[in-house]
Amino acid sequence: MNRIIRYTGAFVLLVVLQLIIFNNIEFSGYINPYVYLMFILILPVSIPSWILLLLSFLTGSVIDLFSGTMGVHAFATVLAGFVRPWVLSLNVTAEGAEGDMSPSAYRSSIRWFIVYTVSVVFVHHLALFFVEIFSLRHFFHTLLRVLLSTAVTSFFIVLFDFIRPHR
Amino acid sequence: MRSLLNFLLRFKTLILFLLLEVVALAMISTSHNYHQTVFYGLSRNITGFVARRVERGTYYFRLRQVNEELVQENTMLRKRIEGLTSAPQEGVAAVHDTVSGVNYTYLSARVISNSVNKQKNFITLDRGSRQGVAVGMGVASPSGVVGVVVGVSGNYSVVMSLLNTDFRLSASIARNDYFGSLAWDGTNYRYARLSEIPHHVEVSEGDTIVTSGYSAIFPAGLMAGTLTGDQKRGGDFISLKVLLSVDFKKLTNVYVIGNLTHEERENLEKEVVK
Repeated sequence: MNRIIRYTGAFVLLVVLQLIIFNNIEFSGYINPYVYLMFILILPVSIPSWILLLLSFLTGSVIDLFSGTMGVHAFATVLAGFVRPWVLSLNVTAEGAEGDMSPSAYRSSIRWFIVYTVSVVFVHHLALFFVEIFSLRHFFHTLLRVLLSTAVTSFFIVLFDFIRPHR
Repeated sequence: MRSLLNFLLRFKTLILFLLLEVVALAMISTSHNYHQTVFYGLSRNITGFVARRVERGTYYFRLRQVNEELVQENTMLRKRIEGLTSAPQEGVAAVHDTVSGVNYTYLSARVISNSVNKQKNFITLDRGSRQGVAVGMGVASPSGVVGVVVGVSGNYSVVMSLLNTDFRLSASIARNDYFGSLAWDGTNYRYARLSEIPHHVEVSEGDTIVTSGYSAIFPAGLMAGTLTGDQKRGGDFISLKVLLSVDFKKLTNVYVIGNLTHEERENLEKEVVK
């Protein structure tokens, strides 16, 4: 019960941060961090995959609703939710995350957490930017946006992981 | 039956995943008229409320720039008044008809939410149907064309920005009146392309691009941008790179432009073309 309240709090906080601060960050149209994805990353390792998918859809839709981009974030976030267990299973080593704990650098190692974050964020951003433009016309321009934004989003997520309470 | 059930259970994650993605894609494909839906009006009222609060907080940091813009516009208007009142009055007296000449109304509005980083950028204004804004009206800032109103609620309106890959503006080269279609290609927010200009037309760097007035949304001669000198040739036409006169990242005060004779003109055009 306590955990549900904490995750709800994290959800609201990340969505508000995204809408008020991160949606307004843009460096010459190349870097758009989507930090709300952190909510999907920090859900417990043992969460059933169907709940994970539904939560991903919900998170993406809420962002879509408030930024007027129907379906784009929902699509990308569901894909991120789908690959997350797979990325986790590739990466669960002795130092990796297990059980009902939340994946974090605090419990595992910073290196593990960065690899995990960058992988999922990259998949999400790749889907997001290419679905948004819906063509391969400016392929390299879009790819550059994906790479730069992945770096910045991952940076903020790792940073936030350090300052969030771990219990 | 049993094996089918087993199959579904085994692949339930994959099936749910595909189902959700299909729903998301369906949402994307129907989003083209999303801005006219009632649902959007409702969500716009909520987000508009939040955006207005945020905008109020950050407005003070931009006061200097806003002031400069207003001073510039005042100067421009003063010059225009000078030109009108000191017109040569040879033989006949100048008649200042203040009623019949008026075709466009201007309503000032504040930008409360804006973006330049998407493919389809939209702007939210703090004026809506209660203040007289209607779908299809043009929006301009003191420095030039901004977009077209695509959705209104009671107190807010949503504008399709020039920085939207669906947006087309009928624009002409001020020097020789050749007109083409101005559109954004979705890359740099400072530049757009003017296409459909016949290749024999002489153009030079720095030429002014203005609205043609053919669409009845904007009055003719409204500033849109200047040519950069970069041009591409395709078939009988050239497309020219245009530096937009409006810096969309610094957008604060705009005007909503209503055309009083819009309906009359549209009806006539419809009648004849039919």
